[in-house]
Amino acid sequence: MNTQLHIMEEPKKTFTIHPKKFAMWLFITTVVMIFASLTSAYIVRQAEGNWLIFELPKILWVNSGIILFSSIFMHWAYVSAKNDNTKNVKIGIGAVAILGFTFLIGQVMAWGDLVNSNIFLVGNPSGSFVYVLTGLHSIHLVGGLIFLLIVLKSTIKLKVHSKNMAQIEMCTTFWHFLGGLWLYLFIFLLLYR
Amino acid sequence: MFQVVIGIGILLVVLILFMLFRIGTLLDVVKGSNQKVVTKSNKVNAALFVVLLVIGFGWIFIYSYVYFDDYNLPLASEHGVETDYMFWVTMAITGVVFLITHILLFIFPIRYSYEENKRALFFPENHKLELIWTIVPAVVLSVLIFKGLQVWGDITSKAPEDAEVVEVMGQQFAWTPRYPGSDNRLGDFDYRLIGDDNKMGVDFTDDGSYDDFIPREIHLPKGKPVLFKIRARDVIHSVYAPHFRVKMDAVPGMPTSFHFVPTKTTAEMRVETGNAEFNYELACAEICGRGHFAMRMIIVVDTPEEYEKWKSEQTSLVAQNEILFNLVPDDKKELAKVKGKVKTEVAAVESSEEVKK
Amino acid sequence: MSTEDTMHNNEHDHDHHGNFWTTYVFSTDHKMIAKQFLISGIIWALLGGALSVIFRLQLGFPDMDLSWLKPVLGEWIDIQGKLDPEFYLALVTMHGTIMVFFVLTAGLSGTFSNFLIPLQIGARDMASGFMNMLSYWFFFTSSTIMFISLFLETGPASGGWVIYPPLSALPQAMSGSGLGMTMWLVAMALFIVSTLLGGINYITTIINMRTDGMSFTKLPLTIWAFFLTAIIGLLSFPVLLSAALLLIFDRSFGTSFYLSEIYIGGEALPNTGGSPILFQHLFWFLGHPEVYIVLLPSLGITSEIIATNSRKPIFGYRAMIGSMLGIAILSFVVWAHHMFVTGMNPFLGSIFTLLTLIIAIPSAVKVFNYLTTLWKGNLIFTPAMLFSIGLVSYFISGGLTGLFMGNSAIDIQIHDTYFIVAHFHLVMGSAAFFGMLAGVYHWFPKMFGRMMDAKLGYIHFWFTFIGVYLIFFPMHYIGIAGFPRRYYSWTNFDTFNGFTDLNMFVSIAAIFTFVAQFIFLFNFFYSMFKGRRATANPWKSTTLEWTTPVDPGHGNWPGDIPKVYRWPYDLGKPVNDEYAAKFSDEEMKNVPDFIPQNIPFSKTPETNFPNENELIALEDEDDKAIEVK
Repeated sequence: MNTQLHIMEEPKKTFTIHPKKFAMWLFITTVVMIFASLTSAYIVRQAEGNWLIFELPKILWVNSGIILFSSIFMHWAYVSAKNDNTKNVKIGIGAVAILGFTFLIGQVMAWGDLVNSNIFLVGNPSGSFVYVLTGLHSIHLVGGLIFLLIVLKSTIKLKVHSKNMAQIEMCTTFWHFLGGLWLYLFIFLLLYR
Repeated sequence: MFQVVIGIGILLVVLILFMLFRIGTLLDVVKGSNQKVVTKSNKVNAALFVVLLVIGFGWIFIYSYVYFDDYNLPLASEHGVETDYMFWVTMAITGVVFLITHILLFIFPIRYSYEENKRALFFPENHKLELIWTIVPAVVLSVLIFKGLQVWGDITSKAPEDAEVVEVMGQQFAWTPRYPGSDNRLGDFDYRLIGDDNKMGVDFTDDGSYDDFIPREIHLPKGKPVLFKIRARDVIHSVYAPHFRVKMDAVPGMPTSFHFVPTKTTAEMRVETGNAEFNYELACAEICGRGHFAMRMIIVVDTPEEYEKWKSEQTSLVAQNEILFNLVPDDKKELAKVKGKVKTEVAAVESSEEVKK
Repeated sequence: MSTEDTMHNNEHDHDHHGNFWTTYVFSTDHKMIAKQFLISGIIWALLGGALSVIFRLQLGFPDMDLSWLKPVLGEWIDIQGKLDPEFYLALVTMHGTIMVFFVLTAGLSGTFSNFLIPLQIGARDMASGFMNMLSYWFFFTSSTIMFISLFLETGPASGGWVIYPPLSALPQAMSGSGLGMTMWLVAMALFIVSTLLGGINYITTIINMRTDGMSFTKLPLTIWAFFLTAIIGLLSFPVLLSAALLLIFDRSFGTSFYLSEIYIGGEALPNTGGSPILFQHLFWFLGHPEVYIVLLPSLGITSEIIATNSRKPIFGYRAMIGSMLGIAILSFVVWAHHMFVTGMNPFLGSIFTLLTLIIAIPSAVKVFNYLTTLWKGNLIFTPAMLFSIGLVSYFISGGLTGLFMGNSAIDIQIHDTYFIVAHFHLVMGSAAFFGMLAGVYHWFPKMFGRMMDAKLGYIHFWFTFIGVYLIFFPMHYIGIAGFPRRYYSWTNFDTFNGFTDLNMFVSIAAIFTFVAQFIFLFNFFYSMFKGRRATANPWKSTTLEWTTPVDPGHGNWPGDIPKVYRWPYDLGKPVNDEYAAKFSDEEMKNVPDFIPQNIPFSKTPETNFPNENELIALEDEDDKAIEVK
């Protein structure tokens, strides 16, 4: 059988989103489902009573500010990439990475505060949920940081520019998503004490 | 040796089957039937559906008719009449649908099997038909749902005030029942109080607990509403009393309940079933570990008079076990003695101790 | 373990793009990955079936001396040759886990979504071949861990495939809840990753990579089914991950999400405030959609096969899509019908009864549509067609009993009895299995370039079809009589201690059916190497995969990807009045009874409907130049 393939030009696409970007959105959907189910579990469990009420650590407000701020930098890096300003892209992504890392440290400090106010992972589920939700978000944020570093590496290799935006676009989407996810969790935790 | 023979035997059978298969395929090649769209097998397969239809349904009907009573579990509760009725109504409806669809499904193969010069009917859609078979099931289902929810509402409604309360606790791998005694109030419990003697964790600082008793069998009065208060000590169990059509999970940390009215005494059931050894049984219906299959407890349904008599003969927890009596706070010991009908010897020892203090 | 078996299957394919490792093991070609999933699935199915035979021996022949199983089961058979009751539960648990997840989710979706999506939508490969490969290897790793857990000294997970805590959370409750359960959770986490990677890929591919002209209304129903299955999976598997995550925290770190007020092993645990019901809600939020993850691909496969072999279009193409959409959406709002008697709020029970019975309507529509497709067809009984008809039969008989369980009042009595065992084994187990087998028989020529032996296929079908009914039909009777499921033996209860004969009958039927599967195995592997050579389109089907060469290489089509002009079910299309008037009998006979999707309307004037003639105007010169064979 002759299997010498002559792969010709593909027929025109029936849909215009870049497949990888689309896959990225689907991935975000799965993450949304994880957190949606955990927060619904939180509500269901809270409704059953025996629920310890405590103050959220104040530092979470600071952390929320940091992550919002990092999203602004991310957007700036993205716009810079669109304008082929590689230097600013590097600065922007670097700043986002540093802010992201600071956020993580802040989250760990928040856990420290919780421990100091005698809220442990083991104990009433109201406390355990806070640890699980913040911890799981932080794990995703670590993933985001790794993604940032990959984009930073491509930028240094001059692979990120106005003609090659897919990677930084996906990174931006994911980072904004992580920021949005955190705000959702924070507001949720504030509302459902 | 024997195993070797069996092994060789199986090997031979497999080999013979393989030879038959090879010969068969070679014959097909010779006859050229492997080049045709369909062979004789097409008709054979189609006919087999009809054979299966006749034998299958014949068998089902005859067997169901002859052995119906073997599988029809005797019924002994008020709500069970309703649920059983619904069960058989649903059975009739689904049975008819099952029969009709299968007659079509198994007759079509022979009726429309392949013919060389025939062309199938090009029939891609017909909105009227589709509408019909969307609406008809919808209507039938609404009837079933309506009736079902009505019955469900009755069963899960609040138990009547005068219901006989029985607490049933599941543990690996037994049931423990507790009766509230003459005051009709179950004493509080706390799982942290559970121990070798106090296996239900009864709180003996609560006045309600002094006349509570734990019998070896569950007794229920005929014709009176009964409320099972259900809890579990370790893992999830499920209270399942098949004759009463009762089932409710026993969940640790989350008490549940089920109320029903027994309608036949054990004695009446023995007559009805013609089995002199008949007993109502309580089983576990939720996987709970190694002994899941052995969580049996006998339930006895008495006439109301017999039931009251039985209740009055039971010994309260505090009277049964001195260790439990000692859990009662000192200022309540007198009350416990009276309510729990603690025998005088025990009481005497206790009072003499008090004197010493 | 799976790839070794497939390694010779392309011996005549001199398509040396890479070495052995990149071609057969770490392949990124969707067809090879599909075969990897298929063979892994078959191995798992055999193992899952073998486990069921062991526990059926226990149930059918309680007095049997099982010492001869000692070489395999070791300590789990005691000195008297009796099976350990806890290992019985382990067998039941692993049978469920393996069949539901490893065979009917990975083996079915993994095989056919991977194989058919690019071929039927006209794509060279999946959106990301690498992710696809990862998906398989995550599955493989998960399989390996689950397999190893079978041989643990403390036994594999034994708390039922639904792993309800506290039983699954406390090693004190049963030994299988120790390391076995940990490995179960790890394996399932990896499995979920695999499923999500696969699902993301399937959806992306279907949305982005359809060939020119392949609009959603021209997609074969198989693709619709795979598409909706992937979406359901994407939305529900993360929830199982959450449930498992919280369970892991409870097990390993001492939190109290699901544990409360427990006294076990002589001590009161400190956990308070947890809710076992919470786990059940989370679990069944996946668990119920999972039923449709298993079933929908089979229904899609069946639609395709029944239409092709009836030589007429599937009846109600749009209604079929609509009913699958309906099932997909409803599948997310019915989960609590598994929990009517768990102590859940009765009002919730009413709502879920209502929603559950609504799902019967789209299911009924599907059944009637299948029947109407068969009606006045020109039926060819290939093994695939037989298995598809078998599926419809199981789907009806298993689906109807769903009306009992879905009704909360009736469910009280039959919940967790053999009635439910019969129900789901027919409607989701056997039906999905038959879809899978039908798919293998139907697409085997495309997978391996050879035909499977039809006669063996017929024997396999009749043995299995009748065998499955002989196993599960009597179980309804036992269920009506009140037998609870997951019982090691019934001798403790007078109520359940009858029907020894019937149980023996069921066990014999189960062994018979299991042995009959070896006919398939032989046929499968023998035909892979020695089967009759296939033609490019052996079933005269209309979809795009049959326009590829007999043994499609990497990239699927040697030349251009075909363009699509028509829907996938132009089978038995009648000659229109204009041509009927002038055609001779001979000419009428020569009009083909199927028109593949890549044939432009300008080439088929004799069968075009008036509105289709108008579509010719939209075709350009290239389209008109396409040659019709």
